Amino acid sequence: MFKLGMKALLRGLAVLAVATGWAAGKEITLLNVSYDPTRELYQDYNSAFARHWLEKTGDKVTIRQSHAGSGKQARSVIDGLDADVVTLALAYDVDALWEKGKLIPQDWQKRLPNNSAPYSSTIVLIVRKGNPKQIKDWDDLTRPGVSVITPNPKTSGGARWNYLAAWGYALKKLGGDEGNARDFVARIFKNVPILDTGARGATTTFVQRGIGDVLIAWENEALLTLKESGQGEFELVAPSLSILAEPPVTWVDKVVNRHGTQAIAQAYLEYLYSPEGQEIGAKHYYRPRLEAIGKKYAATFPTVALFTIDEVFGGWQKAQKTHFNEGGVFDQIQKANR
Amino acid sequence: MLSRIVKRKAENMRNKRLRLIAALLLGAVVVVQPAALTLRAEDTNTVELIKQLQKRIDDLEQKVIVLESGKGPGGEANDAKAKEHVEALDQKVKILEREKELEQEASEAKAATAPKISIGGDGFNLSSAKGDFAVQLKGVLQVDSRTFFDNPAVVGNDGLLLRRVRPILEGTVFRDFDFLFVPDFAPSSGPTIYDAYLNYRYSPALQFQAGKFKVPFGLEQLQADRDILFNERSLVTDLVPNRDVGFELHGDLFDGRASYAAGVFNGTTDGGNSGNVNFANDEAFAGRLFFQPFKKAPATALRGFGFGLAGTYETTSTTSTAGLPSTTGGTLPGYFTDGQQQFFAYNPTGGAVVVADQERWRISPQAYYYYGPFGLLGEYAISDQAVRRTGAAPFSSAHLENTAWDVSASWVLTGEDATFAGGVIPRHPFNPAQGDWGALQLVGRYAELSIDSAAFPLFSDPTTSARSAAAWSAGLNWYLNRNVMVKLDFSHTAFTGGGGAGTSAPATVTRKPENVLFTRVQLAF
Repeated sequence: MFKLGMKALLRGLAVLAVATGWAAGKEITLLNVSYDPTRELYQDYNSAFARHWLEKTGDKVTIRQSHAGSGKQARSVIDGLDADVVTLALAYDVDALWEKGKLIPQDWQKRLPNNSAPYSSTIVLIVRKGNPKQIKDWDDLTRPGVSVITPNPKTSGGARWNYLAAWGYALKKLGGDEGNARDFVARIFKNVPILDTGARGATTTFVQRGIGDVLIAWENEALLTLKESGQGEFELVAPSLSILAEPPVTWVDKVVNRHGTQAIAQAYLEYLYSPEGQEIGAKHYYRPRLEAIGKKYAATFPTVALFTIDEVFGGWQKAQKTHFNEGGVFDQIQKANR
Repeated sequence: MLSRIVKRKAENMRNKRLRLIAALLLGAVVVVQPAALTLRAEDTNTVELIKQLQKRIDDLEQKVIVLESGKGPGGEANDAKAKEHVEALDQKVKILEREKELEQEASEAKAATAPKISIGGDGFNLSSAKGDFAVQLKGVLQVDSRTFFDNPAVVGNDGLLLRRVRPILEGTVFRDFDFLFVPDFAPSSGPTIYDAYLNYRYSPALQFQAGKFKVPFGLEQLQADRDILFNERSLVTDLVPNRDVGFELHGDLFDGRASYAAGVFNGTTDGGNSGNVNFANDEAFAGRLFFQPFKKAPATALRGFGFGLAGTYETTSTTSTAGLPSTTGGTLPGYFTDGQQQFFAYNPTGGAVVVADQERWRISPQAYYYYGPFGLLGEYAISDQAVRRTGAAPFSSAHLENTAWDVSASWVLTGEDATFAGGVIPRHPFNPAQGDWGALQLVGRYAELSIDSAAFPLFSDPTTSARSAAAWSAGLNWYLNRNVMVKLDFSHTAFTGGGGAGTSAPATVTRKPENVLFTRVQLAF
């Protein structure tokens, strides 16, 4: 009798909870502040994660996206943009959240596998149909009369990868001479008629506005461009040597603590490493970390010899200080080219 | 022979024409190049110039096509050169266009970071682009009239008055710190600070407020002055503390289904506003829990239901030795009618005075319900006051437990939603030229206040102070728009007790029921 009464009471409470809205799951909103070319990736990934989270917890999560040049995005977060998570183009920009804003711990890269980079990419070249300027490798970008499109390394993480890829190639080809490498990169930038603030803007300049003979681009952006152009308007040129780009991710502690979203923000990023997350990344032309997914999509990615930033430049901090800080090598090159 | 000569002449002429066109083409390129190079963003005619250049390129391309259709000796080299020049020129124009586009994007991005200014029904707002810093200038102006009927003992109470003249300055600094300054210029004693506080929002659930603000207790008292249904709050508010200086933790829980507030204050009397300075070693604690359990319910009819419980507890470390003015209150003020006349005072006879004695506590269950145009609000309050009689025998002390309750109902005749906060927003703001008249709301209220019987006769004179008061009120509120409204209220208050001899309140007030007609013209933004 007592049990029956308890059951009836519980049933009644459950009905009441549903009727009054108390039983409904929580509605959570996250903001993912990312770099330029990840729009399509995260549109797909966010839907998948929202489904996953709803099934797992009953909570409805909405993920808002913000995209711009990686450096610019990092500055926005430091200035107060309420990012629950950041998925930026390079570790240096994420480091800035610690150095300039104390928004994350110093050892943020240790919190997730692969130095918190769930996928990787590299830098390749895109040329127009038929490759009219016969561009085969980085050397061809230094030829007079070849118009090169790349964004501004001051604002774009992708542009910094582009710059360093060219520099690393020159170092290897020209016997490790820094002066020659500098001259090599200077000649490339002499051929750059316009500097967009982000990688997506540079793609727009090259693809939609018809400017330039060659676009230096993220591999994922290049493959996406080939897929979307659809009529063979462009060709991908895989250089003989390029850089291993590892875009990192992390949750922003100060923001998630205030929003009460730490657990879900962490789960959101961890899901990038899951087979489903990795597959979505691979479909959007990001090189997966999981071996099985890597094998499945092996044919998608061109074979390029890769070097790491640590090998050639001694890490991001050093590369940033030498090349991209105020008065650094890039500024000197631009000044001389004017 | 003749035909050969004619043919040769024709070829010569064609070759000459080709050379001439090629020369023109190159000349055009030479002329156009420097012109193009001078284009910069500062040139407001850049777009027009780009169009002109594009047109010239199109013309040149047409000429190239014409040339290609009739090439002569040496023409191919010239054609290739010309084509190369045209392509180079085309690139330059495209680069100029793109630069213009990027400049436009940059200026839009800059505009997005520029401060925002807006003026509207919510007042004058100035904020930084991200809203981290904001200032809002608002205000409340209430111009009232009071007309008393059928009580010749009450004189000098009719008239017009500025009930509230409050410029309101509120804002935010560093995103999480809100502030509010509200002085009132209406009191005849001079400008008074009503609200002045800083609120830190750690999260919606955890906020800390410091300064002078409303004590979290009375439901009607916590409703904004601009939103109250009648000119004056009900008899219950006589037992409710108003504004006080203190610290408070507060927040919303469960998506706003529950809210809490708990604070420590200087302590203030029933219906009283504390001064800005109080070194009397008093301290008061106040707390309130309020629930809106159906706020997110699928059924809209339930969403507007809320209920709560509030309480205060305070001790005064020293008993006030100051005598209580018999008609105007003091440390222990009396209680007032809707017409703001005193119907009860701590006014014992025989030269005695009454002072507060250590302890005071209050409790108030409260609830409201809003659904569409209908609104219902009610609360009950107990104020338990420890008092001591001094100055004349018999010396005595007591705990006096005074109680009050009220229920008010409203109905927006024109169909707009009634709300606890935010008032009524007319669907069709007042514009007689277009036949729009705003919104009309019918309001009614009943309230009672009872004095503890132990108050008489040692702590209050039963021949002049009323033992209880009961009031009903009815009125019509006309919302011309969201900022301007006009009220017309009538209130009737009947008394038990009091009404004896005397030439001042409360005797004159309690001698007959109070009948008072209010009007109000209100501007609130």
